[in-house]
Amino acid sequence: MFAVIWDVTLKELRQVIRDRRSFVLILVMPILLTVLFAKALGSGELRDIPMLVLNEDRSPESNVIVTAFSTYEEIRLVGTVDALPDAQARLSQGKVKAVLVIPKGFMRRIQAGEDVQLQLLLDGTDNTSAPIVEGVARRVIAQYNAERAIRGLWEQGVKPDRGLQLIQPVYVESEIRYNSGLSFLGYVMPGVIGLTLQLLTVMLMAISIPRERERGTLDQLMASPISRTELILGKLLPYFGIALFNVITILAVADRAFGIPIFKHLPLLLTLCALFVLTSLATGLLISSVSRSQFQAVQIAVFYVLPVFMLSGAYAPIELIPEYVRPISYLFPLMYFSRAVRAVTLRGGDLAMVWKDIVVLAGFVVLFLYWAVQSFHKRIA
Amino acid sequence: MSLAIETTNLTRRFGPVAAVRGLNLRVKSGEIFGFLGPNGAGKTTTIRMLCGLLLPSEGSACVAGLDVSREAEGIKRRVGYMPQKFSLYGDLTVEENLDFFAGLYRLRGRERGDRVADTLRRIGLLDRATMLTDHLSGGLKQRLALGCALVHSPAILFLDEPTAGADPLSRQQMWDLLYVAAGEGRTVLVTTHYVEEAERCQTIAFMHHGRLIGSGSPEQCRAELGEGIVEVDAAPVMQAAELVRGMAGVTGVSVYGHTLRVFSRAMDGLDRSLQSSLVEAGILVRSIRPVPPTLEDVFLVLTRTAPAEELAG
Repeated sequence: MFAVIWDVTLKELRQVIRDRRSFVLILVMPILLTVLFAKALGSGELRDIPMLVLNEDRSPESNVIVTAFSTYEEIRLVGTVDALPDAQARLSQGKVKAVLVIPKGFMRRIQAGEDVQLQLLLDGTDNTSAPIVEGVARRVIAQYNAERAIRGLWEQGVKPDRGLQLIQPVYVESEIRYNSGLSFLGYVMPGVIGLTLQLLTVMLMAISIPRERERGTLDQLMASPISRTELILGKLLPYFGIALFNVITILAVADRAFGIPIFKHLPLLLTLCALFVLTSLATGLLISSVSRSQFQAVQIAVFYVLPVFMLSGAYAPIELIPEYVRPISYLFPLMYFSRAVRAVTLRGGDLAMVWKDIVVLAGFVVLFLYWAVQSFHKRIA
Repeated sequence: MSLAIETTNLTRRFGPVAAVRGLNLRVKSGEIFGFLGPNGAGKTTTIRMLCGLLLPSEGSACVAGLDVSREAEGIKRRVGYMPQKFSLYGDLTVEENLDFFAGLYRLRGRERGDRVADTLRRIGLLDRATMLTDHLSGGLKQRLALGCALVHSPAILFLDEPTAGADPLSRQQMWDLLYVAAGEGRTVLVTTHYVEEAERCQTIAFMHHGRLIGSGSPEQCRAELGEGIVEVDAAPVMQAAELVRGMAGVTGVSVYGHTLRVFSRAMDGLDRSLQSSLVEAGILVRSIRPVPPTLEDVFLVLTRTAPAEELAG
């Protein structure tokens, strides 16, 4: 049994290594993909949203408001206009994401004690930046109102700190405990590592058996007394070795280039990665043993890999997924992997925290391998 | 003499199409058994069933004493199979291919190395052992494929058109190797549609539309043919063929170059009546003589007289 598995392993390794170009690709591509994904997805924080000001009042008070906006990193003031149609044109062309309109008589009406309305025009097509600008506006106005109130109270003899207490008796002080830089990169990196590892392993394994079928070599294999388990494990083993190499390079990149604390938790992370890679290889083998052609195998693999990306919580928390779709997420090993790796890298989690995910991943490996062996038949048709 | 292969009413259907129908075959141990028939006659399907690659729809087959439906894996250990399409790894070397298959047949250690070296020597590829298989010529690939089917010393060899597309020299070499294998006591079952290769077999079986339509030694097949043949050298040959085809007692006519082969069940006086009819029609007759049948003639007669094809049989 083991001798035959080793024979198949050696044969597969010889074939992989002999195809120089794809071998180099297999070794290097995961690093490139990790860097690319991390760079593309990791800069999740929006800054410098371009905003235009239409200041019809041009008074000292209106300037206070405009200046307050400019102190926020999220906003970049790109200039002023004098007429509303100009502002609307810039907004509809997408050149600015927001326009702040301060009406004529702003200062006069405030000083007269009347209600004043400011207007904020937002580009709703970009549903990420619109709420951010809105949030900034609320904070600017709240601050402005509070300052005016305190000043008003002071004029009536109330001291500023007493005044502050009067107008704002309750306030929140939040403290971020994990991922304290609130870095989106830190959140998304485990998913990126998982996606990269999965993409390659699923694809490589998926075409493995159909390729032999298309080349005719499967006939000769099936005519020999090799068992299905020997064939499946013999195909798994060499790619497991290659994938472990990929794991090490990717983890090194994540640590060195992206500052994810990998080396601090190396044994646990290596275990998680090795198990996850095995689930992907087993998934690929399952696809492989039910596919009749390489084309079909790639089709099925794509249909598997794409929903995983969306539904496994690799990129966005699965709480964003509607509840009736969410059960599907639990079918993907990537969900358990990215959850566990996140727990380790962001919360400094230990085995006690992730053992359940480890058990689930191991279960996937056994299930998929068994399934792959069972769905491969040593007879034609 | 013991039987290496015996089939009883062996049948295989693919959907509505019956590729093999009610095949009864007996192959003696140690003989070279030739399987003849046009493409699509069911030869490959039969071989695949006998190798344990394909389950029969009906009937049974016994190979090396084992049942193909129940003991396929046992059969696989005892037989060697060379598929029609080249199916070794082009990106492995000659020796790596042999070594890999030796491993699959559970050869280990010293024995394995010896068998691989023996096989390389036997198929004459010792000096090309480290060459990539993709770089071999067609004839050498076929020899390597035979080597891979032989490396574990099987009792029975199944060869599906082992010389397809090969040049005469390569074919000669392949047959020399088959004789050596048979000389070692192995049973060789070989399919071909080259009639001259069939002459080299001890027993031949003709297949047509999934049925066995005749079998025996080449001599037997020729002797038991129910029709005689007259060879006519005439000009213009096509006009002569047209005329002869319509004559009473003539069952078939085939044209070879400038001669006709005329088949008939009633040979008495056929040459004279042919002569007079042709001359009467103003056709030049150079010679006219009865000839012994070739295996090709046998095959033509057998396919013509076989029961008509039934669909969904």
